[in-house]
Amino acid sequence: MENKITQLRKGILELAILGALSRGRHYGYSLVRTIAGDSTIDLTEGTIYPILSRLAKEGLVASEWVESSQGPPRKYYTLTPKGREAFRILEEEFRKLAAIVTNAQNGAAPDDPGDRLNVLDISKESDNG
Amino acid sequence: MANGFSGPVAQIVDSYLARLRKGLSGIPARDQDELVKEINSHIYESYRNDTEGDEVSRILRVLDKLGEPSEVLSSRMPEAMMSVGKKRKLPFLILAGVLIAFFGVPLGIGGLSAAVGLIIGLLALVISFYVVAVSLILTGWLSAVFMIVRLFSPGFLDRWVDVYPLVSDPTFNTVIYIAGALLIAALGFALLWLGSRLMRGMRFVFRLLFAKIRNWRKKAPAGGERTLGSDH
Repeated sequence: MENKITQLRKGILELAILGALSRGRHYGYSLVRTIAGDSTIDLTEGTIYPILSRLAKEGLVASEWVESSQGPPRKYYTLTPKGREAFRILEEEFRKLAAIVTNAQNGAAPDDPGDRLNVLDISKESDNG
Repeated sequence: MANGFSGPVAQIVDSYLARLRKGLSGIPARDQDELVKEINSHIYESYRNDTEGDEVSRILRVLDKLGEPSEVLSSRMPEAMMSVGKKRKLPFLILAGVLIAFFGVPLGIGGLSAAVGLIIGLLALVISFYVVAVSLILTGWLSAVFMIVRLFSPGFLDRWVDVYPLVSDPTFNTVIYIAGALLIAALGFALLWLGSRLMRGMRFVFRLLFAKIRNWRKKAPAGGERTLGSDH
């Protein structure tokens, strides 16, 4: 089970990182703060770095070192055009998937015509994707 | 190493970064420096934003949130090592990368070579097992076919093969041989089946082992004093 949670988290974390970067550049620590917000999720902060380096390797993010007014320089990450496109596609897909999970849970009586309509809609959409 | 801290806090950070760097040996020095610098910057920013309590408890909290060096590395290392491997020591580094991906923790060179040895040994065992099973099946089928052909054209390949007459009736004799050949093939199949069972069992044992190692590594820092103290 723990393994499943880790996998799910890694995928979503990657999406969240792309999302945060789509709204502006970040260095590692500010990225963690932005993603975690004041939520109670216990994010092991170090896990974002492997993800960032993979995204960089895939050409989805670019990075540069910038001197900080205090302390050591920070490595800032920005989304490349390719990364922006990847985020757009992934976010759309994520929305669909989230809707599927929600629908499955709400899943009232299977005879409910409204419900059935909903489910049909989604399967049609994901066929196009 | 200058890390922007002073006193005991600097020592703790140094020790953490040293452990991180140890886990990075094998990837290009430039990449090592870059990641260590980045993590150092993270520690600095995190420490600056956490103002509760004394310096030491602050830095320990910061590092606890950051996670063990293995967590900062674990999913990066195999890739990094793979890309190095392409240039230089290909097979060993790829194997090591795969191993680290499996174990989720850098084992150190000693542990790694022990694990590599163990895995190669097991692999050899598995391969020889399957070779035996496959050759049994091949032998069984080939002899069966050979015997069936003999059933219809007696004397087939008589020049090369000497079939010992177990019973006086040649047809019945051939049938006995066919049964024997099929039995051998069946034995081969039984071995294959047993092999898949064994593999499943082995995988189960391995997974159990990995889970144990992982849990043990997670629990280890909690017991005793603190993670970072132990490295001094």
